[in-house]
Amino acid sequence: MKKYWRCHVCNDIHFGTKSPKICPTCLQGNAYVEVSSCEALNVMSVTESHVDKDAFAKAIQVFAAAGEFQINPDQERVALLLEGMFNNENNHGLKYCPCRMIEKDFEKDLTLVCPCNFLTHDSYKDKENGECWCGLFKKRRHHE
Amino acid sequence: MNRLIMFHGRECPHCKKMMPLVDKMIEEEEVELEKLEVWHNEKNADAMRSYRDIITPKCGGQLRVPSFLNTETKDVFCGEVEYEELVDWAKR
Ligand code: SF4
Repeated sequence: MKKYWRCHVCNDIHFGTKSPKICPTCLQGNAYVEVSSCEALNVMSVTESHVDKDAFAKAIQVFAAAGEFQINPDQERVALLLEGMFNNENNHGLKYCPCRMIEKDFEKDLTLVCPCNFLTHDSYKDKENGECWCGLFKKRRHHE
Repeated sequence: MNRLIMFHGRECPHCKKMMPLVDKMIEEEEVELEKLEVWHNEKNADAMRSYRDIITPKCGGQLRVPSFLNTETKDVFCGEVEYEELVDWAKR
């Protein structure tokens, strides 16, 4: 089960089954202590952060630049998908995939938050022109 | 009686692509089909979820939009298809 961990040097919060060996923020080794979800949330609430549509569009550009995929060059498609995700966040709490539907099983529904783990999708995996189920991310071809 | 339903999402590109084909079929083939938008209508979302056991095995274990369902025969497909395939589904 995933737990919360706090770096005792810089208050970096990690949510995972194991604590990181080295804190990625302050680089201290063996720095993490298991804490309650309540403590983790309190520590994180120090920094307020809003990621609006433009900021998210940039964030997925950065994400794609480091991967084997790119954002679909069809801007109209991308705009429609972003609109859907942000409407879903407003109406349903998270940026759920506009091309699927939540089942009201929170753990399962967490697999539908964009970007999802589309590398495993039947529309992406083992396909030369693979793309995520919605076509937001497309496999980059070698010359691109 | 057969009830044909298209579950769709307003901001889903696959649904956007299929919509003119669906409208053409309704008009030209005199097919009755209900279009239920699921992300902006909770009643429709619940209706789609109530068919979870029929839809998900045919759609990669998920509730995907668009999903096309014949409530009587349980004939289901999801995603984009050619017009002929859509008509074929509606008429079988
Ligand atoms: S299928 Fe694409 S658009 Fe949908 S959640 Fe996954 S990455 Fe996002």
